Amino acid sequence: MLRIAKKINRFTATAAVAVALTLGGGSAAFAQDGEYAILMKTLANPFWGAMGLGVEEGAAEAGVAYFIQAVESDQAAESQLNVCNTMLERKPVAMITAAINSTNLLPCLKAAQESGIKVVDLDGNLDPDILAAEGIEITFRIGSDNVAAGAQGADYMVSQLGADAVGAILVIEGLSGNITGQKRASGFADRLAELAPGLEIVASLPGDWDRGKAATITNDIMIRNPNLLGIFAANDGMALGAVESVFAAGKGGDVVIIGVDGNSDAVKSIKSGRLSASVAQLPYLVGKQAVENVQRALAGEDVPSNVDVPTMVLTQEILAAGTEPMLEFVK
Amino acid sequence: MSPQPNAVTKPGLWRRAQIKSEERLHVRLESLLVLIGLGVIMSFLSPYFLSVSNFLNILLATSTIGVLAIAATFVLGSGGLDLSLGSVMGLSGVAGAFVAVNLGLPSALGVAAGIGAGAAAGYINGKLVTRAFVPAFIVTLGMMGLARGLALVISDGRVIYGLPSALLYLGQGRPFGIPMPVIIFFTVVLITHYILAFTRFGRYTLAIGDNENAARTAGIDVATHRVILYTLSGGLAGLAGMLFMARINSGDPTAGISYELTAITAAIIGGTNLFGGRGSILGAVIGALIMGVLQNGLNLLAVQSYYQIMAIGAVLIFAVFIDQYQIRKAADT
Repeated sequence: MLRIAKKINRFTATAAVAVALTLGGGSAAFAQDGEYAILMKTLANPFWGAMGLGVEEGAAEAGVAYFIQAVESDQAAESQLNVCNTMLERKPVAMITAAINSTNLLPCLKAAQESGIKVVDLDGNLDPDILAAEGIEITFRIGSDNVAAGAQGADYMVSQLGADAVGAILVIEGLSGNITGQKRASGFADRLAELAPGLEIVASLPGDWDRGKAATITNDIMIRNPNLLGIFAANDGMALGAVESVFAAGKGGDVVIIGVDGNSDAVKSIKSGRLSASVAQLPYLVGKQAVENVQRALAGEDVPSNVDVPTMVLTQEILAAGTEPMLEFVK
Repeated sequence: MSPQPNAVTKPGLWRRAQIKSEERLHVRLESLLVLIGLGVIMSFLSPYFLSVSNFLNILLATSTIGVLAIAATFVLGSGGLDLSLGSVMGLSGVAGAFVAVNLGLPSALGVAAGIGAGAAAGYINGKLVTRAFVPAFIVTLGMMGLARGLALVISDGRVIYGLPSALLYLGQGRPFGIPMPVIIFFTVVLITHYILAFTRFGRYTLAIGDNENAARTAGIDVATHRVILYTLSGGLAGLAGMLFMARINSGDPTAGISYELTAITAAIIGGTNLFGGRGSILGAVIGALIMGVLQNGLNLLAVQSYYQIMAIGAVLIFAVFIDQYQIRKAADT
């Protein structure tokens, strides 16, 4: 009998641990009517963190209930789909999603649409053609215009080097095949060719959004083109990797390095005079406006199918002056 | 009642239930109880948990990793290791989509290509382990990179979108309201459970894992058996790739990153010995379901995924702890 009691105790302990785990994970939130479901990639990246903050503050201001989920990494495609399906069980009124790629959430978004849930594409991760083929009608897409962001990068590069400059430029693309990275790189390349034909893009390579990989690419290209004039990277992480390589090679200050995102690491680097500029997206504003527009759509008002949130070029001067009104949204 | 002096000959209620569970289901009673306990807890914590649609949802979410956990159980049970499961799954999805979409060949060929690619990768693993004597850890670690890289090469780094409708049915069809991946998953579970628990092949597998030399002395062709096991493991990873591919209507070259570790975790929570000699398919499925229920419940409660990873890590250690505790206990008495 004692033995049995002992065994049972052990099972109780198992259950207790499970309860503790569950409760320790976070407070149990129960749904209210008209909840907004927000599904992000991962909050580990400051960009998504800022967007999440915008969503939270936007929802608080608008007085709507919401719940936000993210997955462990920005490559966890299936686990994001599973989380999405699970979120539908709470029967939200709107599903605001930042999909990991253009297809991983399709079945979930379809199911959401069939239950009359409004679907929003946060940051333009979904491909309009694929959506049309699947018969999914999203309420709206909100995000930065990535082609324009790339073009702004080219504008700044030419303003620094001069329209008559002749020399080599390196472009570091995003993850191969990722539409966002492609748009930024092509926006940059097209505008650069237009403004300064003398600046030649000697290489355009995928850095897979990876700081280390971007640093390696930069090293390799600097060996081939020691007189590299400028580097455009499709995000800040990669631009910062390029910065490390350029400074390690003793060429700090000679190469114009531009990133995209305007995240806090990039801002620090620009302030200390290492990174030349970053085309800042305003993720905080994207998150905030997403909630506001969903609220409008739910109230039956017209919302444009494509909401473009502006981008701005952050430089040392602009950051030092601090007078630019949009700076308050750089988080 | 005072402790019985002859307790060994008359096992207690708990011990009898344990033996029954082991004999009938080949499942450790503890893992079954943890799964049920978790379900009960989640039902109390979230009003959304206890519903047919959510249960189907959990099964659907578990189907891919469940198939991989079965693959892991076969290989681990024989004292091997397959770290290439996740990458091979990604490769298979891309191979299947490439054949069915880019080449425009019939869907059946797409499935054959997907599962075939997985089995081929597994066969190469098996040959390298048994004939070239490269350790399984190294071989499958290398295959992890080879398969992932090949998937990216074939697909040019992009998702291959737009499968023919027959393939889509495999992932999105719902005969009798039950998702196809769940039906396929259950079918695979029944077949593989039968193989591991009741056939000579299954017994040999665990015998090799328990003591390879003894198995060889007993006349088992260990090398051939291992090659078959790795091929089976690769083929199952290919099937998992097909299921996920069909679910998202595309071959994704980045699918299944680090799934091998999740699959091994599920197998071990389910009672498979990391060093071979013991393994159960139903156990692995219960292990996968424990993780599935945990994740689903925490998602419904809107708990961040970071805590979910912690919870699963804790469950893994706890499961093995219980196991070791009982083994030592049994050795003491």
